[in-house]
Amino acid sequence: MVYAPMTTVYLDNAATTPLAEPVREALAPFLGEEFGNPSSRHALGVRAAEALTRARTQVARALGGQASEVAFTSGGTEANNMAVLGAARARKKQGAQILLGATEHPSVRAAGEALSAEGFEVQTIPLDETGNLDLQVAEALLTPETVVVAQMLVNNEVGTIYPVAKLARLARKYSPQVHMHTDAVQGLGKLALDLDQLGVDSCSVSAHKVHGLKGTGALVTRPGTRLQPLIFGGGQQGGVRPGTENVVGAVAFGAAAQMADDRCEQTYEHAAGLRAQLDNGLKTLSGISLLEAGTERMPSICSLLVPGAPAEVWQHHLEARGVFVSVGSACQSNDSSVSPALLALGLDAERARRVLRLSFSALTTSEEVQIALDALESLAPELEDLS
Amino acid sequence: MPSAQPSPTELGEPDLILVRYGELALKKGNRGEFEKALVRNLRQALASTTKAEVDRQHGRILIRPERRCEKAAKRAAEVFGVKTVSPAWTVASDTEAITAQAAKLLESALAARGQSEPVSFRVRVRRANKAFPLNSSELERHVAERILPGPDTVRVQLVNPEMTLGIEVRDRNTFLFLDRIEGNGGLPVGTLGRALCLLSGGIDSPVASWLAMKRGLHMGYVSFHSAPYIGEGFRRKVREVVRNLGRWQYKAPLFTVPFADIQVAIRDQTPERYRTVLYRRMMQRIAERLATAENCGALVTGECLGQVASQTLENLTCIEAATSLPVLRPVLTYDKEEIIQIARRIGTFDISIQPEPDCCTVFQPNRPVIRGRVKDCLAAEAQMDVEGLMQRALDGTEMELLDHEGGA
Repeated sequence: MVYAPMTTVYLDNAATTPLAEPVREALAPFLGEEFGNPSSRHALGVRAAEALTRARTQVARALGGQASEVAFTSGGTEANNMAVLGAARARKKQGAQILLGATEHPSVRAAGEALSAEGFEVQTIPLDETGNLDLQVAEALLTPETVVVAQMLVNNEVGTIYPVAKLARLARKYSPQVHMHTDAVQGLGKLALDLDQLGVDSCSVSAHKVHGLKGTGALVTRPGTRLQPLIFGGGQQGGVRPGTENVVGAVAFGAAAQMADDRCEQTYEHAAGLRAQLDNGLKTLSGISLLEAGTERMPSICSLLVPGAPAEVWQHHLEARGVFVSVGSACQSNDSSVSPALLALGLDAERARRVLRLSFSALTTSEEVQIALDALESLAPELEDLS
Repeated sequence: MPSAQPSPTELGEPDLILVRYGELALKKGNRGEFEKALVRNLRQALASTTKAEVDRQHGRILIRPERRCEKAAKRAAEVFGVKTVSPAWTVASDTEAITAQAAKLLESALAARGQSEPVSFRVRVRRANKAFPLNSSELERHVAERILPGPDTVRVQLVNPEMTLGIEVRDRNTFLFLDRIEGNGGLPVGTLGRALCLLSGGIDSPVASWLAMKRGLHMGYVSFHSAPYIGEGFRRKVREVVRNLGRWQYKAPLFTVPFADIQVAIRDQTPERYRTVLYRRMMQRIAERLATAENCGALVTGECLGQVASQTLENLTCIEAATSLPVLRPVLTYDKEEIIQIARRIGTFDISIQPEPDCCTVFQPNRPVIRGRVKDCLAAEAQMDVEGLMQRALDGTEMELLDHEGGA
């Protein structure tokens, strides 16, 4: 091995999280004897259908919704596509304007580009210089022709929590028929989510960000929401998202969502403690600073600005010490590939290459944060003067 | 007009692949060895397509695939040393059986061609069975007279016809074929010895390796990994390149040399402008040690004259002076576009452009030397512990055997 760390300190939980043990136990029967197709009319199928309904109820509950409003998808990307494309296409006759947040996930931005090619006018709600959503500009952009507004709840790079509920109220004021969508992938399990309180018509969530399996997500919608489906088939999931359901993934997601929701306040507080510990530790480390973007911030997502060598070099040096983190922007990327979230914060390509992200989960310990701090401290003399 | 046409029935899949090899036939002295290597390489290449029997017979290699004959034929055509291949049908060596099968083949080819101008056509017989009652030209005429449908569809033309029906008569069996798939040519991998290729993360070195394999060299690979300045993604990319090149050489060793300490030493202890040249001199030294241990008689690099400002004759001289092995540079005189064209054809281009840099920006000099001098290299290296650095790098080197299927 080129590097062989003794321990693994995993601080990249915004990318994905490890499968939780209770989730593994919940899904185990569905890798074995419970292999039925939920559409089958025999006992095996009926048991699978029941498991699916239970999973749906668990996910719905985490979002304050009803089981009938949960459509399982292949992940957050598909859920975002389903909402943005599906809502816009179903409202073609009402209007042609789409508003998207400045820092949306590529699955929302790319859906916007597809709609733009179909004749929709796609506009961006900018951030102000402090990293907050610029609601004044949003208000100016909204018209009765606005058919879809999509705004993420928690920024995946810098952790800003955006005022989705406020934006939703504004949107409805100007366009009563608007479909309000939020990507809450980074919010599930840390914030108490409620579709009504958020004021949204649809919300995307993903299982593997809350200790479930990759390949499963869900779009939760309010009753009566009109979405044009993206795929067509045998009518499963009310025809919104047909295809034989991924029972294993759904069961795992149900268990994971319930666990995440039950503990969301503790998880948030736990992350806040870890962030404070990180912040304190960094105070004695000259040159490394915590990026503070926006008024409300998710403490589980911490972006650091590192000196000297690019963040990618810090990342691999941390990795050699067993600490896994991610970077805001790769070494060889150019201006155009700098994420809009970092650009919106006034970072140019050069500074974006210095952004290192540490992200926590409910399983992250204070010892692990200390190991990361120690590693940063020991690396600083070697890396801070490189360029 | 033909007097009697055998009634054509459905033409099935070909059951045999006829492999012709070019240059090999010229190598009188070690022809047997070359043929054996080609058979071995064909067997390995076909393993990923189908089970198959591969045998030598009368200056041809015959492949009998269990299934997927057309795919297997295309795969066989990729193997270095193969000139052309033909999917073929086997019948008994009997004039009537041959004629009947020839009629079916022609009919099916004309049906596939659809309505159009008459096609120029000939029958060409190769007779290994001298006891066969008709000689080659008699058999050609015999078959043609009986299968030709008429001048509206088919016109006989002995020189450069559009369609040639080939017939090879052996003792018991006869093979019939219409298509000839052009092979890659070259010489069977392994027949010209072994060489070690220095793989960077770029487009050029995989192409250089492919061209070296094409001339019969068996390749090993060495890559230099600057962990922890760059990530594991680079190693994944290099493995993917080596596995892809395994289409032409089923299995290959990959050596990964830890290189960060050497880069740090060069960065801290030598003149900045010479860094790149000095990195490469260290790479060649380490490669030479590995090559010698692996019985490799040469190094292969993707160096290309003038492709970047520092790829000058002077700098190549500085780099080559660090090794006593011959350094083969198959793409030295190629234009970038020519290299890219081959890279696309052999499937390495898309891997090479993955954004996994081979060298960290913190080691790159601002203004690399353009006309380096060997004596300056030697003076710079006198400031460092070349032997110690090299030994530590070799001690940390890992070897893995990679095959085309994705196994380790």
